[in-house]
Amino acid sequence: MSPVSATYWGIPGYAIFWVLFAVAFGLFAQRLYFLFRLMRLGKQENRFDRIGQRIKTMLVEVVPQWCNLKTVTRKDLAGIGHAMLFWGFSLYLLSYVIFIGLAGGFGLSPVIEGTTFEIVYSSILDIAGVLITVALIWAAIRRYVVRPQRLEPSGEAGIILILVFVLMALNVSVVGFGYAAHNIHASWPPLGAALAGYLSGTGLAQGTLEATYRGVWWLHYIVIIGFMVYIPRSKHLHILVSPVNILFKPLGPKVVLEPIPLEEAESFGASKIQDFSWKDLLDLYTCAVCGRCHASCPAQLSGKSLSPREVVLNLKEHLLEAGPGLLAGKAEASSESQAKTMIGDVVTEEEIWACTTCGACQEECPVSIEHIRKIIDLRRNLVLTQGKMPESAQLMLANMQSRGHPWAGVQSLRLRGDWTTGLELKILAEGDSADTLFWVGCTGALIERNVEATLAMTRVLKAAGVDFAVLGDAETCCGDPARRAGYEFQFQIMAEQNIETFKSHNIKEIVTTCPHCYNTIKNEYPRFGGDFKVVHYTQLIADLIRQGKLKLTEELNSILTYHDPCYLGRYNSVYQEPRQVLQAIPRTNLKEMERSKNKSLCCGGGGGLMWIEEQAGTTKINQLRLEDVLKTGADTVVTACPYCLQMFEESIESKDIKDSLQARDLVELVEAAMKQSQSGGE
Amino acid sequence: MNIIVCVKQVLDPEIPPAKFKIDPEAKQVIPPPGVPPVISLFDERAVEAACRLKDKHGGTITVLSLGPGKAADVVKHAVAMGADEGYILQDAAFEDLDSFGIAYVLGKAIQKIGGYDLVLCGRQSADWGNSQVGSILAEILGIPVITLAGDIEAVDNKLKVKRILKDGYEVLEAPMPSLVTVSNEIGLPRLPAGVRIMLAARKQVPVWTAQDIGAEPAQLDRANAHTEVTGLSVPTRKTECEIVTGDTPGQAAENLASKLAELL
Repeated sequence: MSPVSATYWGIPGYAIFWVLFAVAFGLFAQRLYFLFRLMRLGKQENRFDRIGQRIKTMLVEVVPQWCNLKTVTRKDLAGIGHAMLFWGFSLYLLSYVIFIGLAGGFGLSPVIEGTTFEIVYSSILDIAGVLITVALIWAAIRRYVVRPQRLEPSGEAGIILILVFVLMALNVSVVGFGYAAHNIHASWPPLGAALAGYLSGTGLAQGTLEATYRGVWWLHYIVIIGFMVYIPRSKHLHILVSPVNILFKPLGPKVVLEPIPLEEAESFGASKIQDFSWKDLLDLYTCAVCGRCHASCPAQLSGKSLSPREVVLNLKEHLLEAGPGLLAGKAEASSESQAKTMIGDVVTEEEIWACTTCGACQEECPVSIEHIRKIIDLRRNLVLTQGKMPESAQLMLANMQSRGHPWAGVQSLRLRGDWTTGLELKILAEGDSADTLFWVGCTGALIERNVEATLAMTRVLKAAGVDFAVLGDAETCCGDPARRAGYEFQFQIMAEQNIETFKSHNIKEIVTTCPHCYNTIKNEYPRFGGDFKVVHYTQLIADLIRQGKLKLTEELNSILTYHDPCYLGRYNSVYQEPRQVLQAIPRTNLKEMERSKNKSLCCGGGGGLMWIEEQAGTTKINQLRLEDVLKTGADTVVTACPYCLQMFEESIESKDIKDSLQARDLVELVEAAMKQSQSGGE
Repeated sequence: MNIIVCVKQVLDPEIPPAKFKIDPEAKQVIPPPGVPPVISLFDERAVEAACRLKDKHGGTITVLSLGPGKAADVVKHAVAMGADEGYILQDAAFEDLDSFGIAYVLGKAIQKIGGYDLVLCGRQSADWGNSQVGSILAEILGIPVITLAGDIEAVDNKLKVKRILKDGYEVLEAPMPSLVTVSNEIGLPRLPAGVRIMLAARKQVPVWTAQDIGAEPAQLDRANAHTEVTGLSVPTRKTECEIVTGDTPGQAAENLASKLAELL
């Protein structure tokens, strides 16, 4: 008989059960409704497209725990522990609905009790309970003994670990006391049955056992509904919210920056919490403080103040603090002046300008939080509304505006079209058409070291018989540095201008050497009406090798390591092609860095930081990455991005190891590996 | 506070020296292809100074540029920074004017606009660098002039100007209206932001001719010019490099210091 059907001090158990439930559920729902209303403070954004695909993505990531398991490395196995907890706890949740809800609250215990289903399910719960307990102990050891860098030992985590353990223990106790009180002699479920056997052996009076059973049962119930009340008030809110957040994650490119409608009024970007979109606010609820973003952020690793984890947590705290006032519509001057300003008090300018937009945080985040666009939104406000930015950023942006490229000052050495001098190239004049355009990019056209790679690229393309054209001095910046630095209008002007240029020349396909141009033209121009086939040269060369149009026959006799550019790898999942090209070189000796492919560490040059001063007193990110290179023992670091090449050249130079290590663009190695007769060119 | 700023469009100073070509016969600079002209650096700072005063005291900023139709770009740049209106002064009669002629044309246009409290110019142009137009213009307008301003404040209907000297600065006061030429010490010009960029892009920039501003042909006659360019040449650059060394970094620094003392 279920303890619910008993009467307590004249009160029916059912009444107690449902009153307690109503109170707990009320508190649960009240909190969720509050959070929902706070989220609705955010700006509108349409994330309701392709709903079928969204549901599928969500199920695939959550149910098999791919969202966590994908983060597992030999050094960090915690994702496995999380999967154990998730599956185990899911079984428990369902069991609460059946054995507490249906059997207790709805009086169905006579139907459920003693059935094979109950015994089998309870036995499975025993096993799950053991697995969960193992995972709990593991989690506790990690948090309070091992203390990996990404985890801050928090009280909240301790509460939840203890609470879950208590639930496991209570579950076994309910079965044990129940069996003992009702004289059931069974061997399944094993733990409960064992406890029952022990209790029967103690010779306790039947009445005492029955009373204890009821006590334990109600305690179990209270802990469960207490859990329900506690969850939305703690970081374990992620249990409820993360599937929803994954449901609304970007389906296409991983970093989605919303264009600013040009007609819009005074304020741009985010200066107040309600300037973010609702999805950005949902992100804040979702964070489970796992710290994977913190541990993978190049800014954080190099000692800068930025931590993506802290940005998210501080914004969440700010939302919870400022939200109630906003909901009440109280924007009185006095309370506002006392309130924190988001840029400055919640997230500092130093943090905002330290982000390389490398995407490591988002790659690592198991719950699909989008950190980068928040940073960009904050930059947009600083640049477009407040006009506040580091001087180095301002110089770069002013140069973008007046000269169409971010390299302030270099024009006194070289003009954009100069690299074409003396080459037989098809340079598009007004009215000319071409199918394939080789888009050189600012760095490849203006910076001496990168011009070498650009020239190698034209020779390789010619040797492979590719028919291509270039824009020469009519090329301008794709707009990426302006966009990442928050200067959205300049980006939009450039995007529209470039799309017009491509259309006027009937361009079908665009080959880029710069992954930043590649990402911008491929993933961001479609929002402005520019749909072109965009290929990164590593993809094109891999293809040419497959087709037999390029033959790599010369050995290079060097030990190579390949550095994945963020905007090629993480942003566009191009990991294989560059490696295929390198493997096609006879007797290649290719060593992988420990952090490679999607775990690659940024060179430090993305997000406009190629031109923006690094925070004083911190390690330079390119030095950090150079250490990774040196650990492989390679004598050549290969990359496929002009910024990365610059960054390596600079770090090698300043470490003074030019004799033992050189930085090369992949296309330079391709040219070196081609038979001399093949490489015609100039 | 109503401010008029005179801005000039110049050849981008950031071009490789090897690309800088002149026509010695015509005594003119041949602009290299593919390099868009820019606003003269000091004039951009004059616009910045005007914007700061407007931020503080309100009023309007009007920009004037004597030059070809393309000069609309620099006017638009100034509008993107914060100017309200802008005009281009273009006429066949304005070509090849000397500093006096330019100042005369600007003066006529400024008189046409009228109602100003302050006229700002760059301390000199980034191309010819004559630094004459500002002072002559003040003379024509009959108002006081302060050159080389590092900071401008408006206090009690008076201008308080920090004037940069070779070894420091002096603070001068002048009534309004006055003309001030602005030096780079004023600080970095702002990045055009927000809606202003779109506002500027759509801005129609009217063109005023000699007739529009009532300029007298005699004043524009080159025969009456006060100055004449007698020759134009590109200086030859010679670089001599000497590596100064020393046994210790301290010694090297000492050697370098004495070497520099010798040269100066």
